[in-house]
Amino acid sequence: MDVSILGAHLLGYIPLGDIVLYMTPFNLFMFAAALAFTFLIAISKTEAQVEAEFGSLKDREVRVGRAEFKIRRFLAIVCGLATAGAMITGDLFDFTLFICLIGIVNIGIVAAVKQVDVLDAAYQYGLIAMMASLPLFGGAALVLASTGTISLLQIAQLSSTTPMMLLGSILVFLGVAGESGVAPFFATKAEMFRTPGSPFLLIIHLSSLLVIVRAIEIMLIINKPF
Amino acid sequence: MIVPDVVSPVVVALYTPAVIVGIVAGLIGLLGISFEKNDLHILILTDLVGIAMLVIVAAVGTDLAESLILPGLVVELAEILAISEVLMSREMRKNGTKEGKHVPLVPLPMKMDMEVLHTAPVFISVILIAQGAFMSGFTGGAVAGAGILFYVLSRTVRGVPSGMWEGIAGASGIAWCFWLAGFMVFFVFPQYWLLALFLAAFGIFIKVTFKAGLIGVLGREEFKKE
Repeated sequence: MDVSILGAHLLGYIPLGDIVLYMTPFNLFMFAAALAFTFLIAISKTEAQVEAEFGSLKDREVRVGRAEFKIRRFLAIVCGLATAGAMITGDLFDFTLFICLIGIVNIGIVAAVKQVDVLDAAYQYGLIAMMASLPLFGGAALVLASTGTISLLQIAQLSSTTPMMLLGSILVFLGVAGESGVAPFFATKAEMFRTPGSPFLLIIHLSSLLVIVRAIEIMLIINKPF
Repeated sequence: MIVPDVVSPVVVALYTPAVIVGIVAGLIGLLGISFEKNDLHILILTDLVGIAMLVIVAAVGTDLAESLILPGLVVELAEILAISEVLMSREMRKNGTKEGKHVPLVPLPMKMDMEVLHTAPVFISVILIAQGAFMSGFTGGAVAGAGILFYVLSRTVRGVPSGMWEGIAGASGIAWCFWLAGFMVFFVFPQYWLLALFLAAFGIFIKVTFKAGLIGVLGREEFKKE
């Protein structure tokens, strides 16, 4: 069993001291997708949202101010870069740190809006993200304790999976679910999307999708079910 | 064995109690959060969960673990700062809007008093839900959701009080968890694929069914604005 699980073969290593990055077409594709989307966001302008009013035929236009636009664009670019980093990294702890960065930046993107409902959702999401850091880092630490390494390349070369590694990888997955706001925590995140400023908000969604796919790959590497 | 012989067995034996202490501390923090209603207190208790994460990482007790504690701590601090900013700006915006106004279950701008809502709600809803359950998956969820929405609507028209939308949305979240758990079982225990398939199919069925609840929540918010 090596890292070439998802129909991919290993293209090469980038040895940076302890941290060895490995490249497969799968990782590179997701890395490039995240970077391309980040580039699109960096050059795009924000939308103007038109809300239909209940009970009447009037419309209401919601725009984003210039200062808010700039800070949001910056945070969205950071989020995109963090997603790209999480796609390419070959180190379990770097992965968790990138995911935490995505969580923090997601809160930041919506922190400056005026709607109380959205702020409330961002607050709840932030609480969940903080609680999720316990299984996220705890799971990574369990994997480190039971294998002696956090390099995914070396974990892939181990011959057997101990129950501790299984527990650790499941905890990491729970942490990823909490940080990226899927499964039971989706309601707050869906609320966060309702604020105007669309292209920047989409990176929140894209980052959680890509991160879940990568988390599945990491679970496969740790547990080797096939 | 991963642990080298020079390490004293007492130190090695400390690992399991340290992990258990970390998990118990985290659970105590989560328990406190579930009891507490004040937002600021919840934020502080969330920090306790973060500290428990540091305990689990520190339990590994190697140089590597030591160098992993620092980024974990920084991430925790950054998250708590971001969330407290969101909390502050929310409280600043909240002051001035009055709370506690009673809002009906399904706020409709017009009076929808149709004959079919009085005579055949249960029959039509049961047929829709049964067909949805038979179809299962995403499509079945949409059909059954229409049935539930129709039932709630007809009860409201007849003046019978029904349950709260928030509870329905919560059930939707739990069902999504089933779907995600099924997804995970596919990757970790592929031999239980049938269980995973049914978890996924009926999880997404219930989730999409109860998605109808979100329509009610949205409509109520619009009414609060006026």
